Amino acid sequence: MGKRGQKQGIHSQVTRKKIFRIFLIQAAIAVFVSGGLLLIDIVTAYSTLLGAALYLIPNLYFANRALKSRPGQSPNTALVELYASEIWKMGISIVAFAAVFILVEPLSPFSLFVTFILMQISGWIAQMNLNNRFLKL
Amino acid sequence: MEQSLVYLAAALMMGLSAIGAAVGIGMLGGKFLEGAARQPELVPLLRSQFFIVMGLVDAVPMIGVGLGMYLLFAV
Repeated sequence: MGKRGQKQGIHSQVTRKKIFRIFLIQAAIAVFVSGGLLLIDIVTAYSTLLGAALYLIPNLYFANRALKSRPGQSPNTALVELYASEIWKMGISIVAFAAVFILVEPLSPFSLFVTFILMQISGWIAQMNLNNRFLKL
Repeated sequence: MEQSLVYLAAALMMGLSAIGAAVGIGMLGGKFLEGAARQPELVPLLRSQFFIVMGLVDAVPMIGVGLGMYLLFAV
């Protein structure tokens, strides 16, 4: 393994660790909010939790696969791996959404989608603050 | 008739989302390869940036897919 390969591995590992920390914080906030909603309405509470899970599960898979340390990987192979993980992420999302809408009854779609959209927005903001070098190029 | 309109709405929502995501991710991949060809030493950095921007590009199509699934299975 060359020096360049080692550097590539370290960079991916650092980013991966930061991204996982963001997901952990998002999951903790979702569980906390869901626990609060449990006092008001149980359907809203588990719909909120499901919305968070629908965001977190595919994204965890995507981050785990796309940022896996592979020192010395060529750009073409890296791109193929990123595309493959994105396609799997979309597939997992579609299956998870379908499963939730078929299996979970009753469901509060409003709280599910609001949580899902808020998780997406907080993910954007956190990830852009984490590494905003591309904004300065 | 109403049910067919719901299916049509879901199909449009998911299809247009897919077109948007495909264009965005395709451009992103092209730029990634361009950058990697210019400066191969920046590949690790470009990979992390690619990951972050891909998250931004596919967020709205994901919401579209979610709403489409809701229309298909829950309405």
